[in-house]
Amino acid sequence: MEVVLTPRITPAGPLGLEAYRVAGGYTSLEAAFDLKPDGVIDVVEAAQLRGRGGAGFPCGLKWRLRGSDAPKPRYLICNLDESEPGTFKDRVLLYGDPHQLVESMIIAAYALQVQRAFIFVRGEYAQGASGLTTAIAEAEHAGLLGDNIAGSGFDLRLEVHVSAGRYICGEESALVNALEGRRPNPRPRMPRISAQGLWGQPTTVNNVETLVNVPHILRNGAEWFRNLGIHGGTGPKLYGISGKVDRPCLVERSMGSTARELIYEHAGGPQAQRQIIGFMPGGASTPFLGPDQLDVVMDFEAVAQAGSRLGTGAIIVLDDLSCPVAVVLNLMQFFARESCGFCTPCRDGLPYAAQILSDIVAGRGHVGDLLLLEELCEKIAPYSFCAFAPGATMPLQSSLRVFRDHFEQHLAEGGCPYANRGQRP
Amino acid sequence: MTAFEIDARQVPFNNGDNILKAALNAGVEIPHFCYHHALGSLGACRLCAVEVKPEQPEQRPRVVMACMEPARAGLKVSVAAPAALRARQGVIEFLMTNHPHDCPVCDEGGECHLQDMTVACGPPYRRYRGRKRTFINQDLGPLVHHEMNRCITCYRCTRYYQQYALGTDLGAMRLRNEVYFGRFQDGPLESPFAGNLVEVCPTGVFTDKVFRSRFARVWDLDTAPSICPHCSVGCNTLPGARLGTLRRVRNRDHAELNRWFLCDRGRFGHQYTEHPERPWQARVRGQTVNYSDALGAALDQLQRAGAAVAGVGSPREDLESNALLQRLIIRHGGFFAAFTDPGIEAATAHAVRYINRMGTPTLAAMEHADAILVAGELTAVAPMMDLGVRQASRNKAKVGVIHHVADPLATLADYDIRLAPRQTSVALKRLQGMIATTAEQSSGDEHGLAQLAATLMHAQHPLLIGVVETLGAYGVAALAKLAQSLGGQAALAYALPGPNAYGAAIVNEDGATQKVLEAVETGKVRCLVVTAADPLGDTRTGWRWREAVGRLDSLIVMDCVDSATVRAADILIPTAAWAERSGYFINYEGRVQCFDRVFERDKPLPASVAVIADLANALDLGAGEPRVAIADLLPGIALPLAGEPGIRLTPRVRLDVPPPIESVAGATGHWQVGLASWYGDDPLADHAAALSSLAPASTATIAPDTARIAELATDARVMLRGPAGSLPLPLCIDANVAEDTVALPRSAMCQIGVGHGGYVELEAMP
Repeated sequence: MEVVLTPRITPAGPLGLEAYRVAGGYTSLEAAFDLKPDGVIDVVEAAQLRGRGGAGFPCGLKWRLRGSDAPKPRYLICNLDESEPGTFKDRVLLYGDPHQLVESMIIAAYALQVQRAFIFVRGEYAQGASGLTTAIAEAEHAGLLGDNIAGSGFDLRLEVHVSAGRYICGEESALVNALEGRRPNPRPRMPRISAQGLWGQPTTVNNVETLVNVPHILRNGAEWFRNLGIHGGTGPKLYGISGKVDRPCLVERSMGSTARELIYEHAGGPQAQRQIIGFMPGGASTPFLGPDQLDVVMDFEAVAQAGSRLGTGAIIVLDDLSCPVAVVLNLMQFFARESCGFCTPCRDGLPYAAQILSDIVAGRGHVGDLLLLEELCEKIAPYSFCAFAPGATMPLQSSLRVFRDHFEQHLAEGGCPYANRGQRP
Repeated sequence: MTAFEIDARQVPFNNGDNILKAALNAGVEIPHFCYHHALGSLGACRLCAVEVKPEQPEQRPRVVMACMEPARAGLKVSVAAPAALRARQGVIEFLMTNHPHDCPVCDEGGECHLQDMTVACGPPYRRYRGRKRTFINQDLGPLVHHEMNRCITCYRCTRYYQQYALGTDLGAMRLRNEVYFGRFQDGPLESPFAGNLVEVCPTGVFTDKVFRSRFARVWDLDTAPSICPHCSVGCNTLPGARLGTLRRVRNRDHAELNRWFLCDRGRFGHQYTEHPERPWQARVRGQTVNYSDALGAALDQLQRAGAAVAGVGSPREDLESNALLQRLIIRHGGFFAAFTDPGIEAATAHAVRYINRMGTPTLAAMEHADAILVAGELTAVAPMMDLGVRQASRNKAKVGVIHHVADPLATLADYDIRLAPRQTSVALKRLQGMIATTAEQSSGDEHGLAQLAATLMHAQHPLLIGVVETLGAYGVAALAKLAQSLGGQAALAYALPGPNAYGAAIVNEDGATQKVLEAVETGKVRCLVVTAADPLGDTRTGWRWREAVGRLDSLIVMDCVDSATVRAADILIPTAAWAERSGYFINYEGRVQCFDRVFERDKPLPASVAVIADLANALDLGAGEPRVAIADLLPGIALPLAGEPGIRLTPRVRLDVPPPIESVAGATGHWQVGLASWYGDDPLADHAAALSSLAPASTATIAPDTARIAELATDARVMLRGPAGSLPLPLCIDANVAEDTVALPRSAMCQIGVGHGGYVELEAMP
């Protein structure tokens, strides 16, 4: 597949404005400004670009549903608060090619007729944010940002906000609260952020990877974009493969590549003499799949049919030296720690589950603990305020299915059977 | 109004209601924590899970949060459904993983919402095997105790404190299961409404520190419906007593007044009833006597004085005592006044007549104003009116405050207009002039008055609130005229000087205070009877009273707190505090409300009305029946019972009010005095130990520019000279004081003999 999003990303560092232009950068602006804003949305819709942040919502539809008559001012926010364990695609886009992001923001803002846009960057990516700030300054200096961009009559101010931290800031309504300077608690589902978001105004929040596809769609057309995907997927996708593989890596492949191809061809498969016992297909908040599902097509529907979620496309692999119970304990401790503390099931339920898991790993498990864990998941996920707790319980719930024998072995042997094998994850 | 169904009961709802709100209004209980009527829905606790039956056959029942789900006609809701029950049990079990099992020793026990909910829905046994998370508590000052381990993270406290009461020094910090509700660091809570945390908190995180210091189990408390005795708002309260002592005061809902909340003075001021120096023993010329001997001595003095008697009632005395004392004294041929300062009398009388003529809004109605002008330091005088203004401000009302000294409300105002006391009525007249001429852009508008005038003019529901004590009669009239010039939509309210100031005003004859004071000064009066008033401690006239009482044969005093007048009494008859008797107050709206006796002390003191009745009966004046005295005063009014919402007096128009004349007579000195009272400052609450420990230091406070012009250094001590003497005070510089004004506490004003708006000399001390 033609590499679209990442060819300019090299160990030498990001391209400056001139080099980026030489590489074909900012040429999509012309194509965009030749169209009416709705025309840009038409093209994005025709390309069937789906949100890359995890939910897979069609990007063009999201833009159209905000409405061209939405009250002004409206805002656009790029969600670059990448905090999902195992996920490092946005980071590469930020550090490696900031001008691509700036160009994408200009087009998206034009399509949405937004005059003020924000890029919300994860706190740990401060260095990338500073590179992005430099890119924005270059673009401003070149008349690509500010008033009357490239003579189009379109104005845009683009601002970088470095997050004060926490996983939950990646949830769009929590992100909006954080940007307003409030506690990053998620907001109620209604009114929608698209209607009353930042400072009560219509707000569109898109993931970085979603946005950076847009200039390429405008340059090369919707059909070209759709054809980049395989097995029913559309466009390119950044897949990260980490965990117990030979060469953890980030690759840009067709949306719809199989997990087996990604793990074996690009990440070198499991380490020598080891067997894959399971994997998470889309980051730490997606259900585990077993080795029998390695041929799953890594697209939204296919992964959902297999019982998991594509999420961010960040595959985490477990081999036969990884204790899955310890992995799940680690994850639950992470999610318990990252809960914003707003609603009861998440705030107090997740530490409860983590406590049971730590008892099981330490050999203090009780008969009935697995039933209790299942019960907790059923009492946490459906009744929590936002999607955080359902995401947090999915790995636990699925591990109780996929790795049931490991859990039972822990209970029967009074502790972790992997402890004696000299290696624990 | 349409309805929906909860477990086969029809529940009516208003448009925009959610299931929980409609259910609670209809008396259908749905367990909940974070929802609060005043604070609305949050969706955080997840306890109000209910099942909604499918509306289409192919749908499945859904469990939703009742506080987040809009009520709709035809909705079928089940609280009892097993799925909803299971969800609620989960929430309770999760909360109890960290909540300490300290109910047997917890102050909240017995009125703990968490306890109730746990018993009502929770699993009966504990399964969680881990450690509980623990916190370090903070010292939040003398009023509110902090016990964070009990927290269930419902966010009610911060929502109340920050969003409702507009406080800034308490908030949520940290995250996950370590969310901490407290201050940035230890220290007294700054909001005048902080005490409501005690009731807002559904468990024992914030508890009443005063109650805690002398605790009783809440089910052991004697309670009765009462009315707050600390200001003219007349908030409804529920005091609690145990073993003959008063322990605490809680809010009692009144739909048009205080509803869910009380100010800190109302909540913690009751400690005056337990003050060690409260007069407990009757006294005749320095000798401790029993009640009947004191009564005999008083009778003797009254008989001996013949018609040369005078009586002084009080705006903090109940209606029947004022009315009965007035009857007794008048029938005896003497003079009666219900005030101690002729200026306050005139101002109150005018205020009462204006609201009689023009009507006045309830506290609840004030929240719907869209532009408000407050003339005076409202937080100090009627704190709950201030809280009402804060609600209007939250509803986007523009608020202007004309004040003289530092004022919490002014810091939140859109128009913060700082003026020397005597310039207030000038400013009010200018505003009126601007509105009359619709001149929006008047020139030389140095105080933002023109903008304020335009805001008031363009408002649909403008509201003017005046503080009677500091406005004076002239300012009261100027504010009323301003309201009239705004037309029929404008609402007018006055914060009157005492819980029964309205009642005192209708008992009092115009000019009576001046007559009584002069009669005492000229020796026409031999015997003076004072009930629940402190003429000798008055700011403006106290020094005259102090000189004049020397000419009396006897000063007979009835009161329940220590005061200069009590100390000077020849015959002292200690009386019951408000919770130890029943009575009537008339609040700022002209609402007659009854307070019931809450408890009896081991050695009960008589109610002042009983003492006066005993005197009247012994003198055979036929004035001894309090109800008759009230009936004569309020003909045709069926008096309300305690616990009822009270009866608002229909306007009794007395239009022949002579317009007050502003007098600057006797003005010597170059500094105008502004009364620097604060929200704990009240003749009664001053004796409440915990509350008054928060009192600001006694200083002479002036504005920085004024200090610079007068060449006064920040750390100077100054000597103040007034008609009654001089007083050294430390200087304090505060930008919230008007120029050319010196802000003084009440006690200092009394010592030097000036009232608010009076003049003093001030000079630096070497």
